[in-house]
Amino acid sequence: MPRHLTAEEIEQYADGEAEADEHLQGCATCASAALSIMQMKRTLRAMPRFTPPAALRARVLGRPPRRSYAPRWLAAAAVLALVVAGGALWRTRDATASQLVDLHTTILASANPVDVLSTDRHTVKPWFEGKLPFAVDVPDLAQPFHLIGGRVIYWRGQQGAYLLIGKGAHRISLFVFITDAVPRAIESHAGMTIVVWRARGLAYVAVADVPPEDLQPLRQAFARD
Amino acid sequence: MTQPTDLRSGFEELALPLFEPLYNYARWLTHDPIEAEDLVQETYLKGLRGFGSFAPGTNFRAWMYRILRNTFLTSRSGLRAVPPVSIDEDPDTYEQLSVAETPESLFFARADSEMLRQTIEALPLPFREVLVLSDVENMSYREIAETLSIPIGTVTSRLIRARQKVRNTLRGDRCPDI
Repeated sequence: MPRHLTAEEIEQYADGEAEADEHLQGCATCASAALSIMQMKRTLRAMPRFTPPAALRARVLGRPPRRSYAPRWLAAAAVLALVVAGGALWRTRDATASQLVDLHTTILASANPVDVLSTDRHTVKPWFEGKLPFAVDVPDLAQPFHLIGGRVIYWRGQQGAYLLIGKGAHRISLFVFITDAVPRAIESHAGMTIVVWRARGLAYVAVADVPPEDLQPLRQAFARD
Repeated sequence: MTQPTDLRSGFEELALPLFEPLYNYARWLTHDPIEAEDLVQETYLKGLRGFGSFAPGTNFRAWMYRILRNTFLTSRSGLRAVPPVSIDEDPDTYEQLSVAETPESLFFARADSEMLRQTIEALPLPFREVLVLSDVENMSYREIAETLSIPIGTVTSRLIRARQKVRNTLRGDRCPDI
């Protein structure tokens, strides 16, 4: 019987810094140790973040973020994506999936999942104005989808839009980012379907516990010009 | 010759998206909203002043986090937070990994975030910061090493011990019989 992994190796695996699949598949002891760390990581990541007060933003950055900042933010996002990409390569793609699923789960579990609660896209779309470095296009959703609301989220230090969409009793999280840091495809994770697409320079990630084909009409609605 | 205004806008482009993460990190370091605000403000001032010495192409996030952390360490509460002896020298017990203790999964399924937050806040600074950088800010080992100016091996061993401490505390809280 091969030796067990060392504490370091298990840690590195759980942190996405090293591969150990081969051993873990055959060793329940090490697999459970790795799982325990991953669960701790997940719980930590799902903790609410401290958000800076608006007055501090005004004091430090000189002025509140406005839409006219868009070109600057665009450039910033692109540069940041490059800077972050170096570090991001160390993470497995699975980390992206689990982070987005965590965000989805955390938001749905929250007492106030959205900051703007409206089924009217003409209310939700303008709500994002001035809060994000890009314009969020909210199309008219046809049955069986219905808009529930939206909020601003942070993922890997970047701002994004979050739209909560209902489909029957199911809840779909739609994340919208300006960045190229979002992989072209993300494997489904923990039984959740993840569908990624790009349109007009934005990356869309839909997360829900429905079959992938059920998300296709949503994708078409958002990708349509 | 780079104009000061170019420098400023170059700095702002990179630093703006880090505003929320830096504040979050500052709160974890200071445990205090007012102190965290001052820390973020000073970090941006220092970052802007020192931006001329930032090497383009290197990790700007780690650079800013390092400024924030160094500023904190030289503050009054920062000086108090640093343990008087090096914590990496004593050979700890993690070498023989207690793989027998398996069902921690249960703890984390139930551990609510408030209890976890308190547990992490009670950790000594060197453990608290690796855990926050890795698991809250999602930094790679290399980025953490760069931010804290320590070797990657030290990042790994501190993470192991930080997580062990969290586990032990939570276990103590929940199951006093074990």
